Amino acid sequence: MEKRKNKKIIIKVSNLSKSFNNNIVLKNINFQLLEGESLAIIGASGSGKSVLLKNIIGILQPDKGSIEINNTEMVNLKRSLKEKILLDLGITFQHGALFDSLKNWENIIFKTANKEKMNNKQGKQLAFSIIKQLGLQPEILDLYPSEISGGMQKRVAIARAICGNPKILLFDEPTSGLDPVTGSLIDQLIKTAVRTVGGSAITITHDMASVCRIADKVILIDKQTISWSGTPKEMFYSANKKIQEFIKPINSEIFFK
Amino acid sequence: MLDLFLDILGTTGKKFINFIANIGHFFIFFGSAIYWAFKPPWYLKKIFQQILDIGYFSLPVVGLTTFFSGMVLALQTYNGFTEFNSESTVARIVLTSITRELGPVLTGLMVAGRIGAKMAAEIATMRVTEQIDALRTLGTRPMQYLIAPKIIASLVCIPVLVLIGNTIGILGGYVIAIHKLNFNPNLYLYATMEYLQLIDIIQGTVKAAVFGLIISIVSCYFGYNASKGAEGVGFATTSSVVISSVMILTSTYVITALFFG
Repeated sequence: MEKRKNKKIIIKVSNLSKSFNNNIVLKNINFQLLEGESLAIIGASGSGKSVLLKNIIGILQPDKGSIEINNTEMVNLKRSLKEKILLDLGITFQHGALFDSLKNWENIIFKTANKEKMNNKQGKQLAFSIIKQLGLQPEILDLYPSEISGGMQKRVAIARAICGNPKILLFDEPTSGLDPVTGSLIDQLIKTAVRTVGGSAITITHDMASVCRIADKVILIDKQTISWSGTPKEMFYSANKKIQEFIKPINSEIFFK
Repeated sequence: MLDLFLDILGTTGKKFINFIANIGHFFIFFGSAIYWAFKPPWYLKKIFQQILDIGYFSLPVVGLTTFFSGMVLALQTYNGFTEFNSESTVARIVLTSITRELGPVLTGLMVAGRIGAKMAAEIATMRVTEQIDALRTLGTRPMQYLIAPKIIASLVCIPVLVLIGNTIGILGGYVIAIHKLNFNPNLYLYATMEYLQLIDIIQGTVKAAVFGLIISIVSCYFGYNASKGAEGVGFATTSSVVISSVMILTSTYVITALFFG
């Protein structure tokens, strides 16, 4: 507990509320992401998990509340300063959001290539060094996103997010649509990114096996608010009905034996 | 009865306010697009790709359209003016109509259909698949990376396309005049050169630049603000072509009135 207290706060969300046309999606959300911590956000489809992520990265503007990244208030921050902060983040979107007009290797190194000059050979080498960790073959580098499978697209999107070793990683359903082996590989990668680089991660997921593998802390969003938070282990002994519904399909013994 | 009246008033008022808000939104987008088009750094590779797409690949459709328009114009003018024994004015009419009006307007409409629709569909797809959001998170400004190259390329290419289209249109008139209407080639060319005025070329080029701005900004605006998935992409594409075309026809009158009013 003492150790946790001394850790630096990387992301701090306070009293965040967001609604669309009088439809309240998030109400008074409060949580913190600490340095070196992996946080999983779970919740039913449409509960506002992705909206929360989009508020954190500044794509959506909260109606109320504050979002601090590395002690900098992001809400109403000048665009150029916000862009600088976003450069330190690695983000994947729910559906990949790869650029159709660019080849996979160009997608992967997009941010890095904007920061530092590199020729095609260097760019491809950098992209290759990342995709081999994700179990992808080098042949896909010269293809366009539309020419590879959905699962591969997901992995290319993850490769784009982790390229340049960002200290803060935000993943929106990184393992959805992937087979269990690849899903496990992605989980391992997130874990490695957090542990070895000293990074921090927020992962939105429905995959409870994935939560057990990657998360230090879990929060559940239900009825517009955070209705439960705790460690993955606490989750399995929680009396919270919604949490029980989530873990029902999983035999907890398998994970915690 | 009063409720119905209030309902109608409320709906109309809401639509009117939305309409005004959209106009305001468009002008903010317009200002922002112009600002980013002239602010370095420029994505030269993207600009070059757009120049190729807007300029080079539009040449066949623009060439065909203006060539046949020149031919039709020569034929119609000849038929009409024979009644007044004024066949000699065919060259002048073809030249003036093509350079002042038909060349720029037909080129503008063709490019609006071909390129405007493509721009709107491309950007709208990027919007609904979160690619524009992804751009922002990767430290790239969508206005500078996506919109500015399209505006710059349109401003450069459409005037050039119009100049080429004008030449091809006049050539179309010449072909018909010589091979069908039996004009003397030398006399026809002499008449064409005699009536060729710098102001007409300037006017056509100004119109082309304005059309380029209209097509690129209107298409990018509808694409950039697309929503609701595939339906939104379709709406953005249709709206961009319709609004661009209407604005081209409106602005051509305004520019003509400014030059010759």
